[in-house]
Amino acid sequence: MRKEESLTENLDWPLFGAIITMLIMGLATVYSVAYNEEAPSLFDFSEKYGRQLFWIVFSLFLGLLVFLIDADIYRRFAVPIYISTLVLLVIVLFMPAVHGAHAWIGIGSFGVQPAEFAKISTSLLLAKYISGLTVKQQTTTTVLSASSILLIPMALILLQPDAGTFVVFTSFLFVMYREGLTFDPILLKFVNAIPGVRYKETWVGSHFIPILFALVFLSIITLLLDSVVFHLNLFGFALELSGSSGVIFGLLVIYLISWVLLQRFSTKRERSRMMVVLTLGLLLASVLSFTVDKGFGMLKPHQKDRIELFLGLREDPNGDDYNRNRAMAAVGSGGFLGKGYREASVSSVRSNHVPESETDFIFCPFAEEWGFVGVIVLFLLYLFVLFRIIIIAERQRSAFNRIYAYCVAMILFYHFAINIGMNIGFAPVIGIPLPFFSYGGSSMMSFSVMLFILLKLDAQRKDVLR
Amino acid sequence: MNLDGRRNVILVFIVLVIGIYIFRLFYMQVLDDTWTLRAQEIAEKRKEIFPPRGVIFDRNGKKIVTNQTYYNLMMVEDSIVDLDTAAFAKLIGWTPKEVRQRFKDIVDGEGTYYNKITGKRTPNYQKIRAYPFLKELTLEEMSKIAPHLANYKGFYEEATSARNYPFKCAANILGYLSEVTREEIEEDHFYKPSNNIGRAGIERFYEKELRGVKGIKYIVTSALNNAIESYADGKYDTTARQAEPLKMGMDVVLQAYGEQLMQKKKGCIVAIEPATGEILSMISAPSYDPNLLVGKRNISTNYPKLAVDPNLPLFPRPLQAEYPPGSIFKLVQSLIAMQEGVITANTGFPCDKSLVGCHNHPSARNIAEAIQYSCNPYYYMAVRRIIQQGVKKNNFADAEYGLSKWYRYIRSFGLGDVFETDVSGQRPGLIPNPAFYDKWYGHHAWAFSTIRSISIGQGEVKLTPLQMANIVAIIANKGWYYTPHFVRSIGHSGPKPEFKKRHWTMINYKYFDPVIEGMRRVVNEPGGTGKMARLDDILVCGKTGTVQNPHGEDHSVFFAFAPMHKPKIAVAVFVENAGWGGTWAAPITSLIIEKYLKGKVSDPDKEKRIIEAQIAYKSNN
Repeated sequence: MRKEESLTENLDWPLFGAIITMLIMGLATVYSVAYNEEAPSLFDFSEKYGRQLFWIVFSLFLGLLVFLIDADIYRRFAVPIYISTLVLLVIVLFMPAVHGAHAWIGIGSFGVQPAEFAKISTSLLLAKYISGLTVKQQTTTTVLSASSILLIPMALILLQPDAGTFVVFTSFLFVMYREGLTFDPILLKFVNAIPGVRYKETWVGSHFIPILFALVFLSIITLLLDSVVFHLNLFGFALELSGSSGVIFGLLVIYLISWVLLQRFSTKRERSRMMVVLTLGLLLASVLSFTVDKGFGMLKPHQKDRIELFLGLREDPNGDDYNRNRAMAAVGSGGFLGKGYREASVSSVRSNHVPESETDFIFCPFAEEWGFVGVIVLFLLYLFVLFRIIIIAERQRSAFNRIYAYCVAMILFYHFAINIGMNIGFAPVIGIPLPFFSYGGSSMMSFSVMLFILLKLDAQRKDVLR
Repeated sequence: MNLDGRRNVILVFIVLVIGIYIFRLFYMQVLDDTWTLRAQEIAEKRKEIFPPRGVIFDRNGKKIVTNQTYYNLMMVEDSIVDLDTAAFAKLIGWTPKEVRQRFKDIVDGEGTYYNKITGKRTPNYQKIRAYPFLKELTLEEMSKIAPHLANYKGFYEEATSARNYPFKCAANILGYLSEVTREEIEEDHFYKPSNNIGRAGIERFYEKELRGVKGIKYIVTSALNNAIESYADGKYDTTARQAEPLKMGMDVVLQAYGEQLMQKKKGCIVAIEPATGEILSMISAPSYDPNLLVGKRNISTNYPKLAVDPNLPLFPRPLQAEYPPGSIFKLVQSLIAMQEGVITANTGFPCDKSLVGCHNHPSARNIAEAIQYSCNPYYYMAVRRIIQQGVKKNNFADAEYGLSKWYRYIRSFGLGDVFETDVSGQRPGLIPNPAFYDKWYGHHAWAFSTIRSISIGQGEVKLTPLQMANIVAIIANKGWYYTPHFVRSIGHSGPKPEFKKRHWTMINYKYFDPVIEGMRRVVNEPGGTGKMARLDDILVCGKTGTVQNPHGEDHSVFFAFAPMHKPKIAVAVFVENAGWGGTWAAPITSLIIEKYLKGKVSDPDKEKRIIEAQIAYKSNN
């Protein structure tokens, strides 16, 4: 039978192997962190590690099921899958709240989070829709349709509210960028309304998404550093900089480095154009940073509070800052080689200094136990997985497959970046799990299904000639 | 449009983020210690185990300072359930208002923690931690509260140790403990808030020797501060070690007896063993029970009372009362005059009352008689010969020369400065030198006639009782002394090297014999001023003194050592406002000597008279 051959032959073993490694590392960390002397067996299902093992096995079984189904149905049934997820997202709003969020549908202790599966269905529909477009013939309608595929589930998720998943959905913007989706049609409408202006495309419109990200990133950095004072000592000159001037100073340094690099490595023709872009970028970024800093200062106190709470700059009723402080202490105390397996003194579940140390803060015990060396290993593993997925994406013959693969890569990357960022003070504490690592059935299943769909699509890539 | 470049944008983005994260983690985990310290603060509780403080023995092996178990009433706010404040207040004998105030004080007392990273200030107080609500309760007090504690969740008892002074004496020597201040904690990390530190006397001087070595137990704690396990299987734990006992030269029985003799009087007794320099007893009267200053509660109630007592019990008279020495100084003057060769043992002077006042007695034909009669004109003339030796033509310059010589002699008796020893709180007294008088009168503007009162120990000369007792010890030793000190040995270490160094005076030993003979006569011959100090079977050598007191009745002073031929004890006794030295100070001296040498007194009537006497002492009621 052809299918059985493809099951082993066409599976992307490097990616599969990396994921299995990650699952084992995650399970080991959960075992360490939730270790109970009275039930030391890994197969004790009353303990978290027992259940985690069960979830891993169950998820792999789900993956196997996915693998047995012909990959074509995902493309064909993308719309019904998407719509049923939306229905679930609506239903979940009427479910009783758990920890203040209407996120779970379930009976008893077994529950699922539709938001987790919304990532998959949105990926599928986005892949289907964009793959059906001709990039050169984009209209306002196509841009808006593509955007609304994201925005509808995002809006529903925000109603739960689940800030973490909401933020993760913005990862699809990168996919849209990669696929050449441009916001030019909308932008040109405004620009060309000015008499005498007739543009076919604008640089801002086609690079709208990365520019947007740069703006948001810069603003957040400015706000985060708002209350910090930098002490610089350059060649004997002592400098004290406030937050926003520090950011501007940093930008200047980056600008100078890029300038040197340009002088060295670019052709003459490129150079002048890049210099204009760089200089403009520096000026705009400085203005932005300055404006954000001043603008923030002019906000009303309660508005400030809300922003500071979101960024984790202030102690809040939920104790996010407390969690983060504890988490950073745990991570930072790991040192170069770590404290050793099952020697985490701050982040073990039993000591409970770091809440959620088996789920959202799983990185804490890992970094505490394995230190910087372990962290490097984990990061390289993630880097490998992400690159492998992008390699897989790029070798697809079908646009649908490629877009879906990019979706998976960006979702995983987002989870990774935000989750680790929470642990090192670089991201607000919005509880999202570390894929294939954190304890929890719902995320384990959804990530497995997501990944196995990708593996299946890849395994069948030669069948599809589209 | 070529979109392949955009793949690289995404790849660069991913690599950039992971790269930044790696740098950040390298900084956090490898370079920056802040988080490690914070983690230790969070999870590894260093449980410090303080050993009981070192005990102190007297010269005969009697335990004079011990430790006693007390109880703290501990409180964990988080565990308190529906506290009936009124009932609880009644149980501990407080008002409900005081109970509420105490809760507030505990929180305030903990201060705040400033987090440098987040820039936030959070209170150190934690609801889940245990804090002492009541401190240092006796077993008796605790046994009234303890049975009812089951009704008050969140409160429990905890044993702790505090000082105990079974002989109830020598408060001025031993000192006391009190809670460390914030500055002391910052200065020496040995201490933790609510620890005690030696505040005065031996407890303070030997603080480092007495506090012992604290044990450290590392435990991993949970967020609720419950100990989970010992850290790294106790690999880094150290055990607490109590300090080696301190052995003092003091005789606690003698000390207690001296305090008894001096009750209802003001003054002091200093007794030194001449052969070793060990202080046998040092009574500062009125004295008080050192147990009054044990524990925070006792200190806060009793210390103010002692501080405002008009009899000044807290004033360390033996060390800080600087008296003109009076007649006792004549012994020293005799020695210097003989050593300088300006008189011999057999030089006699007529008692010429026109020079300086004196009482009626035959003229002294030699040193011994001069001492026996305590003849003022004799010393006027003898000391004039020391000061005005006729070496310089100018009379003033001659006096300067003479006084300089005299000053060097006096200094060799250890006078004019504090002793480098374990007796803390000494005053230096005052021995005038030429520079002193130059400042007073101007250079070459003074001569013997100006400063003559020093010859009989009056005027500018001031000595502390400790210095005076040491003079007696020097005479008993015929010319040398060991620095007076309290502690004979720390554990089995023996005396400190500085206490084993013999200090020689500039006086040849042979000049001491006539002086000692004079002192024998003072006590044992008819017409001697110190006959009240006579003992039947112990040959006491003594000297009376009367310290002129411009504020009232003169102070009664007596010095003695005994036995004459093999001195075992040198004593100086001061009784404030008791008049002539022979009346009160002399009998007290004899009782001290007898008690020390024989362990009992032969004349109970004398003892009774002394104990019952109340001299210049303001009763409190």
